[in-house]
Amino acid sequence: MERDNHQEGEAQGVKISDPPSVNNPPGDNLATSLSLLGNHMFPDVAERNDGASISKEETPVSLCSDVTAEQQSLDAELHSNQVTKLETEETENSECFNDVCTQQSDGGSEGAATDNDQSDSGEFVVTMLAKAKLEEQGIGVKGRSSPLLEAGTQESPAFMSHRDEDVTAESWRQHRKHVFVLSEAGKPIYSRYGSEEALSSTMGVMMALVSFVQSGDNIIRSVYSEEHTVVFLQKGPLVLVCVSSSRQSERQLRGELLYVYYQIISMLTQASISRIFEHKKNYDLRRLLAGSEKILDGLLNLVDSDPSFLLAAVHCLPLASSLRDSLSQILQKAITPNLVFSILIANNQLLTIVQEKTVIEDTRLEPADVHLLLNLIGASSAFQAGEIWTPICLPLFNPDCYFYAYISYLDPPECTVCLLLLSTDKEAFYAVAECKRKIEEAMVAQNSLSLIAKVQSYSVSQVGVSDLRHFMYKPFDVPDNYRQLTQFTSPEMEAPYSSEEEKMRLLDLYRYMHSRIHSTSRPLKLIYHVAERETLLAWVTSKFELYTCFSPLVTKACAITAITKLLRWIKKEEDRLFIRYPPKYSTTPNPSKSSRGGKSDQQDATDNGFLSLL
Amino acid sequence: MPELSKMKKPDVKVVLLGDMNVGKTSLLHRYTERKFKDTISTVGGAFFLKQWGPYNISIWDTAGREQFHGLGSMYCRGAAAIILTYDVTNWQSLSELEERFLSLTDTANHDCIYALVGNKVDLTDPKAHQSQDSDVASEDRTDSEDMRTEPQLPTPPTSPASLSGVMLQKQVTPEDAAALYGRILRYKGLDETSSQPAEKMCFETSAKTGYNVDSLFEALFDLVLPSILRQRNENQESPTVDLEECRGSSNKRAKSSCC
Repeated sequence: MERDNHQEGEAQGVKISDPPSVNNPPGDNLATSLSLLGNHMFPDVAERNDGASISKEETPVSLCSDVTAEQQSLDAELHSNQVTKLETEETENSECFNDVCTQQSDGGSEGAATDNDQSDSGEFVVTMLAKAKLEEQGIGVKGRSSPLLEAGTQESPAFMSHRDEDVTAESWRQHRKHVFVLSEAGKPIYSRYGSEEALSSTMGVMMALVSFVQSGDNIIRSVYSEEHTVVFLQKGPLVLVCVSSSRQSERQLRGELLYVYYQIISMLTQASISRIFEHKKNYDLRRLLAGSEKILDGLLNLVDSDPSFLLAAVHCLPLASSLRDSLSQILQKAITPNLVFSILIANNQLLTIVQEKTVIEDTRLEPADVHLLLNLIGASSAFQAGEIWTPICLPLFNPDCYFYAYISYLDPPECTVCLLLLSTDKEAFYAVAECKRKIEEAMVAQNSLSLIAKVQSYSVSQVGVSDLRHFMYKPFDVPDNYRQLTQFTSPEMEAPYSSEEEKMRLLDLYRYMHSRIHSTSRPLKLIYHVAERETLLAWVTSKFELYTCFSPLVTKACAITAITKLLRWIKKEEDRLFIRYPPKYSTTPNPSKSSRGGKSDQQDATDNGFLSLL
Repeated sequence: MPELSKMKKPDVKVVLLGDMNVGKTSLLHRYTERKFKDTISTVGGAFFLKQWGPYNISIWDTAGREQFHGLGSMYCRGAAAIILTYDVTNWQSLSELEERFLSLTDTANHDCIYALVGNKVDLTDPKAHQSQDSDVASEDRTDSEDMRTEPQLPTPPTSPASLSGVMLQKQVTPEDAAALYGRILRYKGLDETSSQPAEKMCFETSAKTGYNVDSLFEALFDLVLPSILRQRNENQESPTVDLEECRGSSNKRAKSSCC
């Protein structure tokens, strides 16, 4: 059904490749086009090792969708391979990244047998790609040199450095993680690196892949090559693609794409995106997202550097519970009708959050929604002056409606403490601004700002366990804090993880542990992982999820004792480390107003000017 | 530090409208902070309070992106002055004003005044490189220099290829703006003879160099004063509660000190 949507080039592609696919197992054709995408995006890899890379690319496809019996058996083989690997890991209690790599390539070489015929169906894609490449180069050059072209596309923002990147350059291919967003018609919407115009043909190829697999009543989920993982996510009329060399699991990468999708929803709402594409399949969504690229860029940088996204939990600033309570009370008192959330943030970490009563009965604020709000604030330094009033959708709360967010810094010009008030009433700016004034007054009276200024995150040394270098602890909902915002706590990253590279390396290790714990094929409860320069222990129970990092010389017995001590310490500090009981207030005389799908919000979503565009 | 100065009620509302990337935020930033820096695309709208003599003027800096179009009429409600901004190097930005933004002003005051501002004139007119603005006292002028090298010599306005490289083709002339101004008055059903003349209400500015920025805002503020006074009188005379005013009254400390 989606094939109707495709524009000329892509539709052609699917059609031409259709007849041969009747005879051939679809996997072959697919493998071919995949390898071609590989050729296109990572020519070096593909040229060096053409045959192998194709076969490798094929295996994961079989992992995700049952294409042919042949592939299924391969699938099983791969699985058993993994299982044995995992078992070894548990018994030996040690493993490093190299194992994983070999494991992957093992799977690949086994798959090589299944790959043979690729010429006929692939031919057209070859020409298409060749054409695409030429066009790309042309556009790449033009785009930079001709001011006319810039003036012509008045929607495109002032060129920022990485948007200006030459997408044909080797350095472009070297990026650790690419993210592309396109419409079902193959129109580019967003690219993390390089301008979307210059990448329109690459995105066309991506869409061709998606629709090719779709034409066989299947869904493409991922493509593996030696160095890259390509993950696809289709969400309504949008297609999101991640090309990563970060060695993260497919599931993690898909989760990250979901965040990108949610961020787009938070700006436009799901309802209006569907409506737009229902009316006009080849609509250029960049028209509406123009200016928001930095918000998406910022999100992707955060996703890479902040474990909150990996853990799907909120990191709140450790605060003496008395101070946190007093801040909450201040927020609790400054209310106005239709106010639903009052959030206080310092240095991009949560200080406290107060929610409307009926809202909290209906649902709870999801960590992802908080992440999107924090990113919005962080990505917009323009916020630092004045008071902002803007519509924003919390996609997990309700993907189709807007809230109206009031954002203001309480400590200009430092701009570290930020107040965020969410209302359901579009017209409530002045009333909400008045709440801010009350909050500001109360905070001055209680000297809160200077107290907040002294607050810092904590050092792992405070735990008092030698050999423990870092940890991340995420408690699950337990009866006494049921319906509470999911949170985690983690000390500052200190030496040897103070440099950016080392931080990233530790985060990568955590991501690896996380992927093993949450593996779909073989989830684990406990991993003791001896890495090159540290030893990690990850442990998940019904009550918590814990990742710890020790010095390399720690023994298993030591680590276990250390964790017992750590858990005891966290229990003791609980009130300081977490927002224990999110306070509530009541602002709505009519409870239905603020709840999910409130009528007034629906209205706003529809009259936000989108219809006029169509 | 938050000044705990007594809450100040804004007396009058000024709104900046215009397509994205024409420089609305930069203009306001130049005026209030006396600096030009890279701004990020505005989200929604930003509210500022400016002290002008004994009066408080609220300024709404709105987002030009289509994404936020629906909010425009809300920002314009009860406005006493609307600054319609375009980019002199981009004809489209002028036509967008007529096509997209003019209808938003329907909610403004009936006696609202309209200014047409062509920004980025430093890109087309060498004279705009001198931030000097003859009719305005220039105490702050010293810190208005920026990344762009200021020309030392007054360049004749006919040579469009000086200093920082390329001069861009000017796509919108002052005459185009004046013509649009006339159409706006007609759209609003205002009498051209009793309204402000186009020469007075069409500006060319450069937020980058500061050219004409102060005179724009100051001229506007002076023009809205009668509106403030009238409102005050009305409020004193009439015992009726004006809901709009009540809402407006729930405002706001001043951020910037007196000019």
